[in-house]
Parts: sequence; structure tokens; C-alpha cells
Amino acid sequence: MHFEGSVPIRASRERVWAFVTDPDQVGQCGPGVEKIEVMDPTHFKATAKVGIGFISARFVVNMEFAEQQPPDRALIKAHGQAPGSAVDATAEMRLSDGADGTTVMDWNADVNIAGTLASVGARLIEGTANKMIGKTFDCMRTKLEA
Amino acid sequence: MTTETTPRTSPEIGGMGHSVKRKEDPRFIRGAGEYIDDLVLPGMLWLDIVRSPYAHATIKGIDASEALKIPGVLAVITGADLEKAGLHWMPTLAGDKQMVLPTTTVMYQSQEVAAVVATSRYIAADGVAAVLVDYEPLPVIVDPHKALEPGAMVLRPDRAADKQTNRIWHWESGDAAKTDAALAAADVRVSEDIYIPRIHVASIETCGCIADWDAVRGQMTLHMTSQAPHAIRTVLALVSGLPEQNIRVKTHDMGGGFGGKVPVYPGYVLAVVASLTVGKPVKWIEDRSENLQADSFARDYHIHAELGATKAGKITSLKVKTIADHGYTDAAADPSKFPAGLFNVITGSYDFDNAFVEVDGVYTNKPPGGVAYRCSFRVTEAVHAIERMVDILAHDIGKDPAQLRMENFIQPEQFPYKTPTGWEYDSGNYGVALQKAMDMIGYDDLRKEQAAKRAKGELMGIGISSFTEIVGAGPSHDFDIIGLKMFDSCEIRVHPTGKVLARIGVQTTGQGHETTFAQIIAEELGFPVGDIKIEYGDTDTAPYGLGTYASRSTPVAGAATAMAARKIRDKARKLAAHLLEASEEDLEWEPGKFSVKGSPDRFKTIQEIAFAAYTNHPAGMEAGLEAVDYYDPPNLTFPFGSYICVVDIDKGTGQVHIRRFVAVDDCGNIINPMIVDGQIHGGLTMGLAPSLYEAITYDELGNNLAGTFMDYLVPTAVETPAWETGKTITPSPHHPLGAKGVGESATVGAPPAIANAVVDALWHLGVRNVDIPMTPQKIWAILHEKGIS
Repeated sequence: MHFEGSVPIRASRERVWAFVTDPDQVGQCGPGVEKIEVMDPTHFKATAKVGIGFISARFVVNMEFAEQQPPDRALIKAHGQAPGSAVDATAEMRLSDGADGTTVMDWNADVNIAGTLASVGARLIEGTANKMIGKTFDCMRTKLEA
Repeated sequence: MTTETTPRTSPEIGGMGHSVKRKEDPRFIRGAGEYIDDLVLPGMLWLDIVRSPYAHATIKGIDASEALKIPGVLAVITGADLEKAGLHWMPTLAGDKQMVLPTTTVMYQSQEVAAVVATSRYIAADGVAAVLVDYEPLPVIVDPHKALEPGAMVLRPDRAADKQTNRIWHWESGDAAKTDAALAAADVRVSEDIYIPRIHVASIETCGCIADWDAVRGQMTLHMTSQAPHAIRTVLALVSGLPEQNIRVKTHDMGGGFGGKVPVYPGYVLAVVASLTVGKPVKWIEDRSENLQADSFARDYHIHAELGATKAGKITSLKVKTIADHGYTDAAADPSKFPAGLFNVITGSYDFDNAFVEVDGVYTNKPPGGVAYRCSFRVTEAVHAIERMVDILAHDIGKDPAQLRMENFIQPEQFPYKTPTGWEYDSGNYGVALQKAMDMIGYDDLRKEQAAKRAKGELMGIGISSFTEIVGAGPSHDFDIIGLKMFDSCEIRVHPTGKVLARIGVQTTGQGHETTFAQIIAEELGFPVGDIKIEYGDTDTAPYGLGTYASRSTPVAGAATAMAARKIRDKARKLAAHLLEASEEDLEWEPGKFSVKGSPDRFKTIQEIAFAAYTNHPAGMEAGLEAVDYYDPPNLTFPFGSYICVVDIDKGTGQVHIRRFVAVDDCGNIINPMIVDGQIHGGLTMGLAPSLYEAITYDELGNNLAGTFMDYLVPTAVETPAWETGKTITPSPHHPLGAKGVGESATVGAPPAIANAVVDALWHLGVRNVDIPMTPQKIWAILHEKGIS
């Protein structure tokens, strides 16, 4: 599945960059995130409960900042597993200056979901994912624009 | 040929032709059946399976430490454990091999990866959730056409050096050169791509077993859901090295088989290994999603067919090229010589000389299988293709599809008829069956109504399917499974009080064998059907048999039962002669007694004879009244029928509504008309299912998108139309009872009738083919494209 979008945020590019590359800060905006463990500056592990329809699973997701060009671009790779399900994702984020001092975040993500969650929740995945993405960005904007 | 069944026996005896109520139903209706999941043995443990979320991945490691910390989890079995005993791979019935548990690579989503043994089903499931498997995803091949492309990743590098390709095998039948020449010379050629999607038998009872190893006695008892318990016993003896007399395979009541309980699944093997290891009974039972996602599938044939004919519509030739998607291993349950089953029966009910059929079996990242889902080894696929092609030809040349069929049928006087792919049809009378179906449904009036409706823009279609089945495998010169010849058997014991115990080599998954096999004995010996008990499914007591599938119970074991009964009748005649002080030649038999010719009041009943066999047998004769027969059929049997379906299509939603469906079947002489009707009603519903609802599809990552009954739509009474059934009776000339088998006819015959009706409703819009399932979405998209709303 491919997702992409563009989000204007009323905050400076440096502030946005610092926020999104800090697992402890950005992690709080991930829906269902229960725990964030920072392994090293580019590797961290999140535990998150994800529900699709009537199924929910607790995923342990290993994430890596595969590439970072501050304060312009970052590439994140993630691999997560839950009993019977797995998720593999690559997400790219580009920051640029928008009008009136805003920062524009252009992002895209390729997400592969395997196992029970994909099999049983197939018809609901895309809608659920869009909702989760929307919530994440709403949370980030609220925190950054505060 | 007749259309009526006139019983030879009285209703009290209840032989062939009587609608005797099913002897097994009282326990089913009262909830007193005994299924594997009902069975609990003392000290029993439970096994549950860790399954792969990925359709193709490398296993980098399995960490069972957290699972083993759970109180009640006793063991976690991995492929590495099995490898030490050489049990990580097992042979399939089709001569390929299949992983019991993987050591390096998983090949399909939901494949078994590890097994957890625990003190309860719940704890076992908790253990499964706690096993951590480290996977590295690999590219996935879902489409068999891509699997055959040059340079495609080889999915089974374990095969021999000259087999480093995803093509498992290539199989062909018929004469390619003659067929090409006939096609080239044909006035009319029609060709079409037809896909028969992957479906699942979806039995109401999932698969399961209890393996019970008694180390003191050296005895393995395997209670399991199997359609072929004797074959399982032999395979288990060969693989495990356990002596075969110390292996007992026992089936209990089973909630449906339909071919899905023929294969050996890794779960069975794991339960056996676990029980051998811990010395306690171990139960494995699948949940619904495991059953739908991991058990052997059916169909999945990509067919390209080309039909040649004269201008007048006389068929001259048929050429078929098919890609068979077998998943990651060929675990089909076809007879050894037939990797594509009996698919070359694809020339159907029609008389023409030239046919060529080729099939390539292909590996993909999907679950293995290729079971004959209520169809005798790929006959459903064959019948669908030929019946669709004949309909397309009729529409193309503007001839009524019924008329075109009538003009091309093999005629009654042509039997026995040799088909261009080598089968010898023993009997048939196709025109009469089609005419009867047309009369029942009022065919001519329906065509007039259709024309009137079409003028008003309404979508109504009429579809015909005039199928010929090929069942009852099979003659030993051609038919075996892993070398075991496909005979079948019956042993009859008549007790002194005139009551009968018979054991048969086939078993039942709901077909009513306890009733119909008793009726065969009642027919042959005249014992009342209520005095006859039928047992099956216990390898310690039942004579060896190859099991129940491919509509083979009546053609093979039914014949064995009649032959064993006739051996008993022969001995009973000798006993009667002794009792009546007459010569054997002077005795006359009628069901239930021997009498002296010309003196009808001098007779002995079969019950009196039975008593004498134990109390007053003549000198020089063995006591007792028992017989056994192993029947090797001289040919297969060829049930046929004509089905007509009328559909109305909703232009707004694309929904197909089946208004009427007439099914005229010819299964030869009928043992129990009520049970035959039940088989046909059930079979028609199982034919409706893939026509309109069921299909297992995969996303590009190999995720099964029909893993629950939310997405795999099994029709219920709500979706099922009121079936109208009729019969013609053309006895099989070689079967002792003239019977042919009926379990699968309707599943095979119904889908093309429905598909032909839908295409008939849409033909004037330029639609030549709609692949099943013909869902509202699919039909709506076609209508939308054609500008209809």
C-alpha cells in the first residue's frame, strides 16, 4: 500500500525537524503507542496496539532512520511483528519552507502488511491506516503549533 | 432407459429404490454424534500451531523461551527438532514433498512454522502467541503466469538440477497434430480464456486428530478426520517404521469431507510426533481461519480452450491449454498416473474425433493442494470449460444452445463410446435427459419470454449444462494412489439370529452410508434394512479400502458389498438345499427366502438359513455365514445430466437472481431416492457457491483475502433457490447394481449452467464470458462499461 500527503505546519523547519526525529516526542503522536525504547540515535523500538475492525494486535516495531539530511529529508524503515501478523514499511519525509513561515512536510510511505491482520482486515486496512495517519499529523501539528 | 424406480423388495425389507430414512440421523439430530472435537482422552494434551504471516520469507530464528515460561506449555516443536529425525519434510500423495515444519524458508502465508504442546487448548494458543519468529521477507510469486516467465525466481530450489523451474510437470492427452489439422480446417473457431478460481471445501467440521501413543503396548491409535484411513495407516507405518498391526486409524462422525480430508496435513504429523515424544494423547484441531487459509484448496485452473466446428455447428475439434496453480508443492490427491486428474474428460457429452489437452502444473507462494472438491479429480474444471465453449459456439453461430447440444450428443447406440482422449464411456442417453429438463422448465416459452424482455431492455438469461461425469476410481490397471490400487471392499457377517454386521472399506462424511449400504445388503439377501448394521472407518476392523472421494463409494465399495452379499447368498442356497432336502438347482430365490420350484409353501427364510449356518450346517461345509469381497471395477462409471438455469439480472446492482433451476440427473439404478435427492440438493448448493459467491483470492503479498466466513461467502438457505429435480435411469452395464454414483454430479454440473445463463443474459451487449464467481461487483462493472444502468 502506498500513502502520501503534504502537511503544512506553522512552525520553523528546525523545530519540526527536531520534533520528528526525536522518537520520544514523535512517538507520543503515534496512535496506540504504549512504549518507545531508544536503542541508539538511529534505532528505536515502539510497542503499539493496533486495531482493525474487531481484530487488534500488539505490535513490536523496530524502526531505523536509514537516511537523515537535516533539516530537509529523512528515510525511515520499520519492521514490526505481532502474533500472526507482520508489517514492513518505508517512509520518506521532505521538509521545505512554505508561505508565512510555515514548514511543509511532504511525505510518502510504502506499507506491506502480512498475515492475519491483512487477511482478515483487508477491506478495512486502508481506511484505518488513513485515519491513523490523520490522527498522527493532527497530534504533531497541535504539539508543534502550540 | 426408464425414469421410475420400482423396488424389487417390500418396504419392510427396504432394499434398493426405497426412500428409507437415514439410520444415522437420530444421533445427528439429537446432537449425539461424536466428532473429533468431542473426544477427550485421559491425560490428553493439546497442540496448536504457530503460522507464518509472510507468504515467502527466510526464518532467521525461532525464540520459544517466552512461550516455555507460560505455565502449562510443555514443549515447542520446530523444524530443527524434526530435522534431527528426518521428519521436517514429508511426501505428498502426488509424489512431491511438503514441509511438516520449515527449517529455513516459509512458502505461503499461514504455513506451519512451529507447534506448541500444552495442557489445554487455551494455554497452547497463548504459547503460540508467545513464540517469537524472526523473518526476513522474500519476494512473492502469486500469479502462476509470472512463475513461468523466464528468469522468474525458482521457488523450489530443493528439486533436482534439471527441475530448477516453477513448472512442476507437463501433462498432455489426445492427438496434437490431428487436432491442429481439424481446427485449421474448421469453418468456425471459437476460443476463450476461462478461469476457475481457487475455492475451499469449507466443511462444517475442520480437520483434527488425537494421536494416542501407548509406549507400554507399542500401540499408536490415531483418531482423525480422514476420508482414507487405511491409506493413512500404511503411510504412517512406512514413514514411522511402526509395525502396521500396531497402528489403528479411526475416524468418527465427520462433518463433511468433500476431498479436503484426503490429504495428510502437517498438523496430523505433528500430533503423532508429539504423542510419540511425550507418551500421552495429543489433540490438534484447526480453527476456522486455519482451515480456510492452510488446508488444501480446490480448482485454480487457468484454461484456454479452442473449439472448431462446421458452419452448421457440428463440433469437430477441441484444443485446451491449462495452467494449474498448485501452490508451493503439488499435494493434490489425484491417482498417480493422472497429475491433472481426469481433466481430459473435457470432450464431455459430445461426439467428435479430435482433441488435445495439455496442462502445466505450476508452483506459487500459496498453500498446496488441488483436492477434488466434490468432483472426481478435476472433472468440474473440464465440464465447466466444455459447457462454456459449446454455449459460446451456439451463440456465435446463432443456434439455440439446446439444439446445438442435441445435434452434437453422443447417441445412445454409440455406447460403449471411445473418446478422443481415450476414455470409454460405458453408457449414456443424453438427448432424453436434456429433453426432460427442457420439458420440466418450459424451455420454448422461456425463450419467447426472454425475447420479449430483451425488447424491453430487461436482462434475462437461460443456461444449459449437459455434463458427463467420470467417477468411481478405479480399475487397478490405471488407478492407484501412492501405489495402492483403487479397489474397495466389504465384509459381511450374518449372525445366528439373522442380524447382520457389515464393514466397508469406504467411510462416510455425511453421505448416509449406514443406510444405503444396508439397503444394498437388504436388496441382495432380503434381511430387513433395520437388521443390518454398517461399520466403517476403523482400520482395526474394516477391510482394507481406499476411502471415500471421487464418488467412488457406490461404484466400488457398493459393488463389493453386492458381491460379498452374493457370496453369502450362494452359501445360503447350499444351506437351504440341505434344510429343504432339495437340490440347489431346484431352489428359487426371492428377496428373503429360498423356495422349492413349483412348491412355494416349501421354503426357508434367510433368517432360518442364518440360524442353521451355526446350528445345523451339513457335514463337509464350514460353519458360519460370512463373506468378504475386494472389488476391482472393470471401468469407471459415467453419470450424466442436463441442468437448465434461468436468471434475471438487476441492471442497477448487477445482482444475479436465479429464478428457476431444473436438474435432471442420471446416476443409474438408485439405491435410496431420498438420499440421492439430498445429494443433488446439497451438490447444487455447492455448485451455486463458486458460481456466485465463493473464491479465495490473494493480494500481491500472498495474503489470503478470504480467511474467514466474513469474506468467504458460503451460501445459506437464504441464497439458495428452490431446486427442481428429475431423473432418467440408464444403468451402468458393468456395475453389479447398475449404479453409477451421484455425490458429485450436481457440484460439477451446476456452475456452467449458471454461468451460461448469465452470459446468455448479457450476450447481446457483447459479453462472451464472465468468470465465476459472478458477483454483483463484477456484473455491475460489465453493465457500467456497456452503458447499462
